[in-house]
Amino acid sequence: MDEEQRPGIVLTETQKKRRRERSIAIALALGVLVLLFFAVTLVKGPAVLNRPL
Amino acid sequence: MEARVVVSVVENHSLALSPRISEAGVGDYLALLKPRVMSLVVFTALVGLLLAPGYVHPVLAITSILCIAVGAGASGALNMWYDADIDAVMARTAKRPVPAGRVTPQEALAFGLTLSLFSVATLGVLVNWVAGALLAFTIFFYAVIYTMWLKRWTAQNIVIGGAAGALPPVVAWAAATGSLSMEPILLFLIIFFWTPPHFWALALYRSDDYARAGVPMLPVVAGPDATRLQILLYTVMLVAVAASPWLLGYFDAVYGISSLVLGGWMLWLAVKVYRQREGAPAVRAARQLFGFSLIYLFALFAILLGEVVVAAVLPLLS
Repeated sequence: MDEEQRPGIVLTETQKKRRRERSIAIALALGVLVLLFFAVTLVKGPAVLNRPL
Repeated sequence: MEARVVVSVVENHSLALSPRISEAGVGDYLALLKPRVMSLVVFTALVGLLLAPGYVHPVLAITSILCIAVGAGASGALNMWYDADIDAVMARTAKRPVPAGRVTPQEALAFGLTLSLFSVATLGVLVNWVAGALLAFTIFFYAVIYTMWLKRWTAQNIVIGGAAGALPPVVAWAAATGSLSMEPILLFLIIFFWTPPHFWALALYRSDDYARAGVPMLPVVAGPDATRLQILLYTVMLVAVAASPWLLGYFDAVYGISSLVLGGWMLWLAVKVYRQREGAPAVRAARQLFGFSLIYLFALFAILLGEVVVAAVLPLLS
């Protein structure tokens, strides 16, 4: 097998499935974090940026 | 023959260099958060938050509880990273994701550190930095002071380390008020004095496990009889501490009398543990105390929660 045809690391179906599940979980967690920051910004109003440095 | 040896070395070498592909599922990462411990943390923190005076916006309340829960989970992940060697030889913990090989120690460490950072920063930025700093201290105390130092060093590990488990209602109170006062300290003391009888009851019937893992739990180091005496003494202190918020006038008589009734039952079970020292009855007594101690703490905090809810709902009805 020459260099160009070498397949590299081939994931099994289980590994692909688990990786996809982990990716979705990370995406959901980030989504929750974005929503949380958005909601708190609404709750605190414009004062949210008025913080002592 | 020589050629075969060379091939074998090359094959092993290439195996060692090949990256490990993770098969860890979402469930394995959730298990790293110690969900059962987290549920008790969430419950006690919720009570601390609702007992605090003044109005807390529901979004900020949910944010606070979420951050405390994630911080507790991060502590659990860091604990499982560091204690993988101990967990592997104990029957109760051998199937955890790290010793079972489903999650590598490095993955558990990265997961725990990431969640620690996000939970503390989010609580600090969105709620207040008193609560954020207290949450950071709680994670540090559990992961470093308890897990890395006390657990393998002294039989007083769970006594001092219990402070980490007792802090969530204090963090929640700080999240609601931005400060501290006597009430959250009393809640802290209740959980602090509850921890030794709870864990030593478990350690009494799991002492072989702890001895095999080299963890200096009190039954392993001082023996079961000395542990039984300590359980009894700490339970007496627990009953007194649990009644003190009523005696000092912070909580009402419903809580006070309930705490004495529940404490009386816990004390009776501790006396049974002290008296039943041999064979199956001794194991049964320790199991009963361990099981009831969970109900005891849950019930005490549920009564406080119930009083807060009733106090909030009654004016609306009238």
